[in-house]
Amino acid sequence: MSIGEARIHERGYRTYDGERTGVLGAVRALVVNSAQRALGLGRPVRHKVMPAAVMIMAYLPGAAFVGAAALIPGELEDEFLPSYADYYGFISAALFLFAAFVAPELLSTDRRTGMLGVYLASPLDRRTYLLAKAIAVFGLLSIVTLGPPLLLLIALSLEGSGPDSWTEGLRLAVRIFASSMVMSAVFAAVSLAVSATTERQIAATATIIGLLVGTTALASILEEGADLPDSIRLISLIGVPVELNYRIHGELGEWRVDEVPTWSLWLAVFVVVTGSTIWIWDRYRRLVVRR
Amino acid sequence: MISEADTVPPRSNPPLVRATNVVKRYGAVSVLEGVSFEIGEGITGLLGANGAGKTTLLGLILGLHGIEDGTLSVLGIDPFHAGPEVRARLGYAPEHHTLPGDMKAADLVRHVAELHGLPKSEATTRASDTLWLVGLGEERFRPVGTLSTGQRQRVKLAQAIAHDPKLVLLDEPTDGLDPVQRDDMLDLIVRVARDFGIHFVISSHLLDEVEQICQGAVILGGGQVLAAGTLDELRGTGSDIVLDLDAETFVQSVAATMAASGAIVKISGRSLVVTGGDDTVFDVARDACAEQGAGIARLGRRRLTLEDIFLEEST
Repeated sequence: MSIGEARIHERGYRTYDGERTGVLGAVRALVVNSAQRALGLGRPVRHKVMPAAVMIMAYLPGAAFVGAAALIPGELEDEFLPSYADYYGFISAALFLFAAFVAPELLSTDRRTGMLGVYLASPLDRRTYLLAKAIAVFGLLSIVTLGPPLLLLIALSLEGSGPDSWTEGLRLAVRIFASSMVMSAVFAAVSLAVSATTERQIAATATIIGLLVGTTALASILEEGADLPDSIRLISLIGVPVELNYRIHGELGEWRVDEVPTWSLWLAVFVVVTGSTIWIWDRYRRLVVRR
Repeated sequence: MISEADTVPPRSNPPLVRATNVVKRYGAVSVLEGVSFEIGEGITGLLGANGAGKTTLLGLILGLHGIEDGTLSVLGIDPFHAGPEVRARLGYAPEHHTLPGDMKAADLVRHVAELHGLPKSEATTRASDTLWLVGLGEERFRPVGTLSTGQRQRVKLAQAIAHDPKLVLLDEPTDGLDPVQRDDMLDLIVRVARDFGIHFVISSHLLDEVEQICQGAVILGGGQVLAAGTLDELRGTGSDIVLDLDAETFVQSVAATMAASGAIVKISGRSLVVTGGDDTVFDVARDACAEQGAGIARLGRRRLTLEDIFLEEST
């Protein structure tokens, strides 16, 4: 190596006069870090087990359907393959598990470890901190709600079992997207609201699962046992997004349209998301940050 | 130990923090009642008993709370209305030790540097450099939870300075450290302040460590500033004179001789404290000792310690 090629590799601590990315950069950094944390990236192996299991549970059915579609005769495909609205039935366990796991990991842990105090001493404030966490949770849930049906659509289209035309394919993609956003929004809102209430991760996870399953069970009991109208099902935190998913795809779900009109489903989604947002903000606005 | 040569140069520029009649209340509870002080360059101690308002004051400097009355500026800016802008140039190390245990030290420091606006590649490099600076170069890829208390205090310092802040707020930086680790940490803070021009505010209830490394102090008590200024200002120029005798036998007679010369003398064990007076008091003390045949162990201006000031102002 000549003298002219010499480089200094160890520069040591020094002053920094470069550009700073501001609040937007801080939000981006927190979103990325939160997503990596939830997925177990850069953490010991035990933290990768749950997200890996969820991804397998979410994507495996889609891969199986694509494989099967390639093997079975074309005329049997319609009977064998589920509709895109039906697909969520195969991945509901993965979705509930992920919803119950991600938000507590991202919100409760920050309060328990005191990282919230460090975050609020950065350019982030309570609003931008919560915005970053909401984006991260929503984005992570969308990996489960949007990815599998979208991949199914693309794979089936490539092997000639998908929609008949580009316009039909585009229409389907929009429906998949809308349906996925509704699913992600409802489950993100509920899980964030619960996680904003306790710094104990296990307690938050159990409460989220309890709320999702409990409201659904209660809705069934009230509707069937107490002979209340079908609209009582709107209290079901699982039923509402699932039924709306069918309506978005232009299919009939399990609920009668005249008893539970589509607008009431949208209203229920709005109430859950808005109510959760108000609850979360109120909790954090009044939260005394440990320093 | 910190030697005189290790101290940070004296301050001269405009204050980094300026509070004028700041009032802060939580509901009906008044936490700060019209406090005024300035924090200049170098290392400043923020002292006070538990509940004196130290944490509230740190929160105000970080722009996390508004104030009811008065004015507060940090780096020349109102921190509450320009919080993100101010906090981008501040570093902060919390008191507690429960940072995410499964996060590698380098990842934690990089992440906090990114939050303060550094691009990822720069944050990654600086995280490594900063951990080397604080003596954790070899341990930088270990999870924080596997580090000792002393090492975790260093990680907290590293994450507070990695983004090259102008001012760093350290909350009890020597909490949980043994005497050797404590001196090492104080030495490190002094080196960072001296070599890189980073200014520190250290919230502490350990008066001797503040006295050891700080150039100034703000002493809070009962929601008010009990005293504030440079240590020299706080300790005074030493208008009182202390005369330590080598034996207690002559204390009364020397005191009487000096009093007869017009000096105001108080007796404390083998020591005589002469209040006020100019340099001629030294001659009076010397002559009184010579007259009574008493030996002088020490004769000089009395320097108050922070503990003296704290106890005096608190009462």
